[in-house]
Amino acid sequence: MTSKIENKGPYFIDFAQRIKNIQAAMHREKIDIFLGSRLRTLSWTLDAFCPWRSFVVIPAEGLPTAFTFVIDAARIADDSWLDEEHFRGFMPMGGQDQIELIADFIKENMKGGKGRVGIESGMSNYLPEGFLTHYEYERYRDALDGSTLVNAHTLIDRLALIKDEGTINRFREASRQVDEGHKAVYDALINGGYKGKTETEIAGIAALAMRRAGSEWEWSFTGGNEIASGYRTGLSAGACTPPTRREIRAGEPLMIDIHAMFMLGLGDHSHNYLIAPVSARQRWHADNFIAIVKKTLAAYRAGITPSKLAEEMMAFAEEGGFADYMVPGFEHGIGMMGDEWRIGLNDGAIPYWTNPDHVYRESELLICAMQYACPEENIGFRYENPIVIKKDCCEELSKFRLTVDEVS
Amino acid sequence: MAQTLTYLTPEWRDEAEKRLKEELSPEKMNRITSSMSNIYLKCPDGKERYLLFRFADGALAELALGEGEPPEAEFRISGDYEVFAKISRAELGAQKALMTGKLRLKGNMMKALKLAAVADRLNKVLAKIPAQY
Repeated sequence: MTSKIENKGPYFIDFAQRIKNIQAAMHREKIDIFLGSRLRTLSWTLDAFCPWRSFVVIPAEGLPTAFTFVIDAARIADDSWLDEEHFRGFMPMGGQDQIELIADFIKENMKGGKGRVGIESGMSNYLPEGFLTHYEYERYRDALDGSTLVNAHTLIDRLALIKDEGTINRFREASRQVDEGHKAVYDALINGGYKGKTETEIAGIAALAMRRAGSEWEWSFTGGNEIASGYRTGLSAGACTPPTRREIRAGEPLMIDIHAMFMLGLGDHSHNYLIAPVSARQRWHADNFIAIVKKTLAAYRAGITPSKLAEEMMAFAEEGGFADYMVPGFEHGIGMMGDEWRIGLNDGAIPYWTNPDHVYRESELLICAMQYACPEENIGFRYENPIVIKKDCCEELSKFRLTVDEVS
Repeated sequence: MAQTLTYLTPEWRDEAEKRLKEELSPEKMNRITSSMSNIYLKCPDGKERYLLFRFADGALAELALGEGEPPEAEFRISGDYEVFAKISRAELGAQKALMTGKLRLKGNMMKALKLAAVADRLNKVLAKIPAQY
């Protein structure tokens, strides 16, 4: 994780300015105080990983105060850019449970103890998103009698959309660590090394290499490192493969989707293998996959939209005769830890899903993500790589070679 | 046999101050600098009282007993008089009283936890004062 004692250097983020930007947005939207509860909001404002239920209260002026389960409060305070005075731990004690403690704090920090309180409510595919639960909402509403609770997560989402250099550098470093994981996996597989190894073992080999390179954890909630072999690579529309105890076998595909975290910046890259002997048909699938990944990466730039890109790519797949094997989505959102899945803002036709007409802007960060799956032939491939949108292109953060390697 | 004092009277406060100074050295109090108000609601005479402890470098600097709104303190523990009385008579643990919401603590929990052991020492000294409630 991060630490106050670390010299952040190229990874420095001006969190104090972030808070001022939030407060300016609060002022515009007539929000007197903001109660953040999403994991992405906590990471983005505190520079600390908050694995337990946590909240950040941002007043109209001055520094925010964070609240978490008391067992982790001192550690988070140590990690964060904020001093210990701006952290509180909650626990089941009179006056110290999260509702009473935070409601009292909010009242003390609003003129007259009443006003408009911004909260984070909504839905997500991402389980640890951290929206206020129905129960929490009702308890806060009752405890903040006389105040109005208004949904205000968009305020954070809008500000977090365009990434600053410190954030992008953290992602670059996390991607470098992922590349180290891929190198270790390759070394472990070649020259018959794959024999007897299981998906879980491969996940561990990658994890060890990434941690040696400085990664803090295999952050993805999808099982850390996702490893799939054989038929599991080709599960229909499948793009989530926590590793199993299945052994790697000759003649089968192998998908390595690994994750590293560096200062809340996330590495997420997939590399694919064919274990020899490789049939011509398997190679055909692999070549299709590489071709569409290259085409997609070449298409990303400021101004393009997810729907336009999907249309172009599916047309390309149709021409190549492999459209039936493509999942028609080419990206997912990404930001500091906890910010995963949806692209852009919640402004599409279907609430809380990616707006297909979202227009990418420079310095947006996303995961270019593609899934090729042919369940009938027990084969599939996955591509994931964080990319930074540039004016006329995109920067691929993982530099690992774009190939489907044949190993024996 | 020591004289029995009435809980939360000036005489009881004087005895409490004497015993705290005699029995709790600055080292035993971990040389803390902090303050804590116990706020007694629903006292037998219907009033609210407070007992303020102020420690400087581990030494008891102030023990104030009063009525009404207490002075500023780093921690405030409030509850019914009877709850505090039960704790003093060792019929109820302070921890359980807090965990069940019979007592309410205001203040930074992260700091409060660091002071839990010294608060316990302090309560044990007070509990030994022969008192009637």
